[in-house]
Amino acid sequence: MGIEVIIYCYGAVCVGMLVFNSIYNFYLKRSSSKLEAKSRKIGRKMEEQINRVRKGDPVEEKHLEYLERKLCQVNNLIAFDRALAQFLQREMDTAETAYLDQIQVVILHLSVVYLKKENMQAAYFAFFIAKYRQKRQMQMDSLQRVLLDYMKKDSLYCRVNALQALYAFGSVENIVEAIRLQDEQDVFFHEKILTEGLLSFQGSHRQLIELLWAQFDTFSEKTQLPILNYIRFRTGDYCQQMYEIMQDEARDKELRFAAIRYFGKYPYLPAQAPLLAFTADKDPLHWEYAAISAASLAHYPGTEVIETLKEALHSANWYVRYNAAVSLDAHHLDYSSLMDIVNENDRYAREMMMYRLDSRRLQEAERG
Amino acid sequence: MRDLWQIFFNLIGIFFVLYMIGYASFLFLSVTVGSSVLYQSKRRNTLKNELLDDYYIPVSIIVPAHNEGVTIESTIRSLLALDYKLYEIIIVDDGSTDDTAQIVQEVFSMHRIARPIQRKIHCQPEEAVFETGKYKVPMTLIRKKNGGKADALNMGINASKYPYFICMDADSVLQHDSLEKIVRPVLEDDHVVAVGGAVRPCNGAEIQNGHVIHYRMPRHPLACMQVLEYDRSFLAARILFDQFNGSIIISGAFGLFKKSVVIGAGGYDSKTMGEDMELVVKLHAFCRENEMPYRIRYATDAICWTQAPEKLGDLCKQRRRWHIGLFQSMTRHRAMLANPKFGLVGFISYIYFLIYELLSPYIEVFGVLTIFLAFFVDMVNVPFMILFFLIYVVYSSVLSLTAFFARIHTIDLKLTFWDVLKAVGLCALEVSCLRFILAWVRMTALFRYKKKKNSWGRIERKKINFK
Repeated sequence: MGIEVIIYCYGAVCVGMLVFNSIYNFYLKRSSSKLEAKSRKIGRKMEEQINRVRKGDPVEEKHLEYLERKLCQVNNLIAFDRALAQFLQREMDTAETAYLDQIQVVILHLSVVYLKKENMQAAYFAFFIAKYRQKRQMQMDSLQRVLLDYMKKDSLYCRVNALQALYAFGSVENIVEAIRLQDEQDVFFHEKILTEGLLSFQGSHRQLIELLWAQFDTFSEKTQLPILNYIRFRTGDYCQQMYEIMQDEARDKELRFAAIRYFGKYPYLPAQAPLLAFTADKDPLHWEYAAISAASLAHYPGTEVIETLKEALHSANWYVRYNAAVSLDAHHLDYSSLMDIVNENDRYAREMMMYRLDSRRLQEAERG
Repeated sequence: MRDLWQIFFNLIGIFFVLYMIGYASFLFLSVTVGSSVLYQSKRRNTLKNELLDDYYIPVSIIVPAHNEGVTIESTIRSLLALDYKLYEIIIVDDGSTDDTAQIVQEVFSMHRIARPIQRKIHCQPEEAVFETGKYKVPMTLIRKKNGGKADALNMGINASKYPYFICMDADSVLQHDSLEKIVRPVLEDDHVVAVGGAVRPCNGAEIQNGHVIHYRMPRHPLACMQVLEYDRSFLAARILFDQFNGSIIISGAFGLFKKSVVIGAGGYDSKTMGEDMELVVKLHAFCRENEMPYRIRYATDAICWTQAPEKLGDLCKQRRRWHIGLFQSMTRHRAMLANPKFGLVGFISYIYFLIYELLSPYIEVFGVLTIFLAFFVDMVNVPFMILFFLIYVVYSSVLSLTAFFARIHTIDLKLTFWDVLKAVGLCALEVSCLRFILAWVRMTALFRYKKKKNSWGRIERKKINFK
């Protein structure tokens, strides 16, 4: 009897699965066509209001109420987003621009509504704002303040989308505050997301870097590193500050590496001596300093640099040898200047240098 | 005597009821969780809960190849068509006796170069290295002495420049957005050390520049049954294991790994046949023993298309190889079994793989033999047996179809009515026939396996429909 009950139970599960599958498939098909219909309907209503604006009338109060009421539902917001995308695809006339300006009050209302919703929907709203903002020159300080609250939600996507929206608004103060909020939360945020995001900032990078730098030491190391990388990609004006970080032994080693890389991109004469010292350091525990410094010396001229790099080719560490060979190659030395390496007994140094010379020849041949 | 038989069959009956309840429950749980995760992920994508911008983590793609002259060119072309910017391609020719290396050199105009390779993990020495910088990403071809797939992968790891590497098969093609999707878990969580991609049979699919432009159920019934089997057994089960960091297999056809951790764990083991499973189990052991926080993830949307064998002989070879690999990994890491140090990996994943993967062919074949025995001593209720078998077929078929349709619906693939009919018909055939054939193959796999442990297990290749 017991067995039969189990069999019936599993049979019921089978039937349940079949029913679920069929209903879900039907729902998916229906929701897709429903979304299109909704999008067309909202588009028609928008068109009507734009025609009113074109005649010199304001957007109707009942249309704003309609949007406020309907767009609280995420599926309607998706439909609205699609309808809006039709307008944004082409160059908008003044009536369309005016319409979008007049519905900003609805957007602000929605920002508060979606802040209280579950993370997935809040993230979609932040995405919508980022997209909308990038296409339109809209300034809404109050909306930006609400977006900062989105940064406190415990969803990575919500925070990333809110940051994207804030980058698009271009306010330096709000970005620094958003980064601070992110920094204060004890959740993982990949440094690449922060660096790439900062690089997409739509306002003045000079001002943003100034403000970030003024507050640099108040951030934790996990945030300091992407900030340094961002500065490296944007400007060579921070040599003095980077020099101090590079020389500060109390700093986290990743920050010091970032500073060393900075001097690889922006040669700075005072940094040359420390870079040479790092490269010449044979302590196996310091191999990362030696390897990164060897790479950074590619654009520093002088026989001392060449000699140090040649010496680094004899390092026991593969990466130091490799970077030294790449940097020596970047100095475009002729074959005779490298004869001493090629002819000497250190097989590892010789192989590495020969490989770089071969690579150069191959690149030149491929370039024709 | 009859009483003894009765006691014997009663005990067997109780064992099989428990065994089947365990399996049916696991299958039900995995398909339910798998389907709901797929539907959830579709909703997440609709609501743009994903990293939309281009965050590029540098990745080295390692393609180990042994006598892959038929497919290697299209595989490399598919890699060059990926929507990703920061990666390199390393092809390791593991002592091919056909023209694999020559095809790569000539088609992609590669030049021989004296490149030193750092030996971070042991592998057979290289015979020649070729490079080219003519394409959108750097490409390297390493010709080495034959040492097996694991050895070729170790060579690729040694030669790779970037902190993450992808291992893949030379007879597979990656979907255009697969790299972007497979690195996402790394961007989301710093502790991720490995990510498995979703491997799907490409038989029946037409792929253009990494995009599927036409999808149909494969023409060949055997390949068709494997499509259903992949969705039920691999997709659903792997999603379930992913929920508690319990994945112990990442398919060798497509997986991303953190290089430093793999090197720390000793790289691929060239002495095993199932080097892919062995590495993942080893990563669990390595991270747990070193008290390193880690996650092994499964990216359902990072897709790799691979050729499912269309000949029964080839399929048997493949499954034999998988089973030997499973046996080697499970016996080597037997300390994991119900060991609290390994958490749910030791209690759920290991036990599941032990009972329902490693021992299941023996149990299933034993079950069939018992039915014959019971029949001869006239102790079987034939109508009930047939009813029970039909219920099993219907139950397994429904679960297969649920997993299959969940995948089809969530990635917006369109099937014809004929394809749906084919899926429904063949899934019954798969659970009622193919499953038992493969159980027999897996059961006999361990006989004389030592003789073949380092072979690549040749399967007939066809040109992939990649344009």
